[in-house]
Amino acid sequence: MLNVKQVSKIYEGKIAYRALTDINLTIEDGEFVGIMGPSGSGKTTLLNMIATIDEPTTGEILINGKNANRLKNEELAKFRRRELGFVFQEFNLLHTLTVEENIVLPLTLDGKSVKEMKLKVGEIAERLGITQILKKRTYEISGGQAQRAAVARAMIHTPKLLLADEPTGNLDSKASKDVMGMLEQINQRDKATMMLVTHDPQAASYCNRVVFIRDGKFYSEIHRGDNRQAFFQKIIDTLSLLGGDANDFSSIRV
Amino acid sequence: MTFRQFAFNNVVRNKRLYAAYFLSSMFTVMVFFTFVIFAFHPELAGDDIHGSVQQGMYVAGGIIYVFSFFFVLYSMSSFLQSRKKEFGLLMMQGMSMRQIRSMVFLENMVIGLFATLGGIILGIVFAKGILLIAENVLVIDGALNFYFPLEAIGLSFISFIILFFFISLFVAYVLRSKKLIDLIKANKVSKGEPKANIFLSIIAVLLLGSGYAVALLVEGVTVIAVMIPVIVVVIIGSYLLFTQLSVYIIRKLKKKENIFWHKTNMILFSDLSFRMKDNARTFFMVAIISTVAFSAIGTLFGFQSYLTDGMKISNPNTFTYDAYDGDKAEDIALINQTLQDENIEANMEQMMLRYFQIGEDPSILIAKESDFNRFAALIGEDTIDIEDGQMTVVEFEGLPYGQTQELLTQAVELNTGVTLEPHPKEVIYSRALPAFDSYYVVSDKDYEALPHANDEWNFYAWQATDGEEHVLDAAEKLYAELPPYGITSGEYNVYQVNKAYGMILFVGLFIGVVFFVSAGSFLYFRLYADLDEDKQKFKSISKMGLTEKELKRVLNRQTAILFFAPIVVALIHGAVALTALSHMFYYNMFKQSVMVLGTFLSIQIIYFFFVRYFYTKQIKEVI
Repeated sequence: MLNVKQVSKIYEGKIAYRALTDINLTIEDGEFVGIMGPSGSGKTTLLNMIATIDEPTTGEILINGKNANRLKNEELAKFRRRELGFVFQEFNLLHTLTVEENIVLPLTLDGKSVKEMKLKVGEIAERLGITQILKKRTYEISGGQAQRAAVARAMIHTPKLLLADEPTGNLDSKASKDVMGMLEQINQRDKATMMLVTHDPQAASYCNRVVFIRDGKFYSEIHRGDNRQAFFQKIIDTLSLLGGDANDFSSIRV
Repeated sequence: MTFRQFAFNNVVRNKRLYAAYFLSSMFTVMVFFTFVIFAFHPELAGDDIHGSVQQGMYVAGGIIYVFSFFFVLYSMSSFLQSRKKEFGLLMMQGMSMRQIRSMVFLENMVIGLFATLGGIILGIVFAKGILLIAENVLVIDGALNFYFPLEAIGLSFISFIILFFFISLFVAYVLRSKKLIDLIKANKVSKGEPKANIFLSIIAVLLLGSGYAVALLVEGVTVIAVMIPVIVVVIIGSYLLFTQLSVYIIRKLKKKENIFWHKTNMILFSDLSFRMKDNARTFFMVAIISTVAFSAIGTLFGFQSYLTDGMKISNPNTFTYDAYDGDKAEDIALINQTLQDENIEANMEQMMLRYFQIGEDPSILIAKESDFNRFAALIGEDTIDIEDGQMTVVEFEGLPYGQTQELLTQAVELNTGVTLEPHPKEVIYSRALPAFDSYYVVSDKDYEALPHANDEWNFYAWQATDGEEHVLDAAEKLYAELPPYGITSGEYNVYQVNKAYGMILFVGLFIGVVFFVSAGSFLYFRLYADLDEDKQKFKSISKMGLTEKELKRVLNRQTAILFFAPIVVALIHGAVALTALSHMFYYNMFKQSVMVLGTFLSIQIIYFFFVRYFYTKQIKEVI
């Protein structure tokens, strides 16, 4: 599904900065992978490159065998719109639109029929439990609801790969659990492939597999067994080995 | 770092943020200053007519000053709006409200000072430019020379320092009793979608409709009587149009999911309806200001055409001479001599104009076929052929004043006892003879048998075939030498009207241009006030995948609506106003109206492309 081969990223500038070095990562269809690491480790850089927002300096990234960075700008935008789904830390819902309108936005851009959109939005809202708030405006709903609406928007066109950047970063623990549980459920039921970048061990424990990177290099990876609690403990252990503070909730970079 | 150093660095290192406010202030000063340069122009101070022009300019200058005040105030408050978060941050660091106010006051005074100086310098350049254009385009007697405008500089400087001082004081009001949390969250607070009232929307339609209907239907002096009520009604109607009807329509459109959920429409309309509260006020102001500009320029231009057109039409010949008493041979010789001196080659024709008693009317011109044909040939018109016993009515082409209908029903009795009756269907339109009333043409033979004429005089006409460029010089000499009412030169008369009218036209044009340019910059600042928000929005949408084409389409429409919605309304207002005006004078100003409105529209289109280019570029930078 996703194949990251020997990817390095160097930010040119007055002081050149090496953000990632020789990263290899493979995500299979239907897998739910978390990326963890301390602040400045290059998680978000990696995510941005997979999201085709940024380009690797060397190496290549194949999504479904396609190298998106070779696409032209127009095609790239359409590729993002059709094949990828995004969930952001700060939700990125447009405040001028209602929840429903926000959710259908990717479909309207693709010129889908209203009937089809209505059908899809009804279906996904039902599943994510946000039917009640569809007609509300973004400032009338809670953070957890907003993030669920954002997930609905990311999922409505059934993307091949869902990318989430700190989706729980702005949520309280209850809402975090709700959102992560929901992502897990989508992953299991729809076999959607997902990749999550997070600081939050609790959130990471919902993944099938967590990859740790440090200083732009691959550090280790651990797999989840049947027990989420045990997995959570393993994550905490690895994080402390990683040198970061176990309770590291340091400032999150946007 | 002292407090003053901080305030200074805050401005210097934050140029971009301040640039918009600074430029709009400088622009305002420039407009005012250029205006004052003309108002204080020594050329204008002299005689009566120019004196009254100057009076008018003082009043207009006052209006521009008041207008500037609101404009600067408006720019400043939107500028402060965008800085609320910064103030919140400063307060969090322990800055008191008093310090913030004094900082903004200082900044504002510094910006004001530089804007005033910059505006004056730019204004000098601008004024020179306008004068150059004016000299080339308009006929201005004695030319408005460029002078070093000490008085104007003094007045502008003092007026604007005072203006900025009061504006700075006003800051205290804008930043009144704000809680820290409100300031920090200022850019996150939803402005709320404006609501439309169906009742008021209908009233908007009714007001505009009735205003237009009245303006278009009345004729003659009634136009003046209904002018004020119509203007009031249309202004209220326009206000409601933008604040209510447009919001109502957009909301209706948003409800139609087939339209609203179609491609990029959602992004476009949602923002449109949200910004309508801010937009409506700007749109209204721009529409009214532009209407004033269009109408003022259209009126002046139309009025000038009205005057000169009449002269051009009624004087097809280069020169004419009416010899009322005797044949005035020496005058004719003088004219011929002058033409020769000035290297003008001209054909001359002469005839006796004879007026007869026909029915009630004691002075109806009757001309003979050969005279008519000679004069027609002189100005290159078709000759006519009239059989003995026939008579034709001729109406002066282009001037619908002649009593053609009356003449068609009359008959002329000849000395031979034969009665000539005009052909009832046939009227010839010609400018051959100098008679604005309609007249008869008969055959040469019948002409001899006409009864005694009530009045008669010799008429001479010259038609230049070469050396036309010297006609004005020749005319000037002849007008000085010959008695008034004898010699006439259409070209010279037009020249004189233009000369007398040039100054007024220039001032009118200038005011119109100033108003129009200010309207344009209003729109510009309205657009840029939303720039940051748009950047944010398109950044997040583009992450989801928005192609460049789609982005361009949204921005294109957004900018187009902003630039053309008020202008289209203003164009319609202007067209209606000019139509009403032409009804008042019974003069068709269609061509002039189209020219004036078309020119403004094309300037606006150029302006639109220009602004759209830069706006799109700015948005694309962040994506």
